[in-house]
Amino acid sequence: MSYAQTAGHRGATAAILVVGGGGLAAATWIGGEHGLALGLVGFYALAGLAAYLWSGRDSDVGAILRAGGDERQRRLDRAATAHAGLAMGAAAILGGIVSAARHHGDIGQYGVICVVGGVAYVVSLATLRRRS
Amino acid sequence: MESTLDSGGGDKHAFHMKNRVSELRTAAGLSQGELGKALGVSRQTINSIENGRYLPSLPLALAIARNFEASVEDIFIPEGD
Repeated sequence: MSYAQTAGHRGATAAILVVGGGGLAAATWIGGEHGLALGLVGFYALAGLAAYLWSGRDSDVGAILRAGGDERQRRLDRAATAHAGLAMGAAAILGGIVSAARHHGDIGQYGVICVVGGVAYVVSLATLRRRS
Repeated sequence: MESTLDSGGGDKHAFHMKNRVSELRTAAGLSQGELGKALGVSRQTINSIENGRYLPSLPLALAIARNFEASVEDIFIPEGD
């Protein structure tokens, strides 16, 4: 991979927020919670606008929001993503433990998250080892 | 300023490095943004390298050296040398 900057797309993060938030809002509407759905639309529209405006700035965060940047900025993004993954994994494990204690050993959806995380890690490690 | 590259083996293998990027850039009359543009990296990355917070990859170190018509060893100096 090149050390040089890639331009990225200014709307990259905004698009994820709008599409993901829109999907969540639509599901909430279908579920009958119309007020909450409208609130989610407003929240994700504002978040998408903020991400779009911030991604135009000449800064590390701006470059990461554009899904672009140079080697250092991409490394920052990967490290932050890894930390976020560790936090999510810890939360899923803790949630599974609490759920098992409260629901007669049933870890519920936390189990799915843990399995997806574990399989993704093993597959990633196997793939990345071949390239390094 | 000084950068540290920890190889993961603890202090025994930690690698301390100084660099002359700021000195050479100033002598060439370039701003951090201009040097970044010439190398294809951000102004923030040049600032981080100069302040010893970031040790560039080998390709970027070579590009910096080429830009100043110097060798990598002339610019990035292991501490103690």
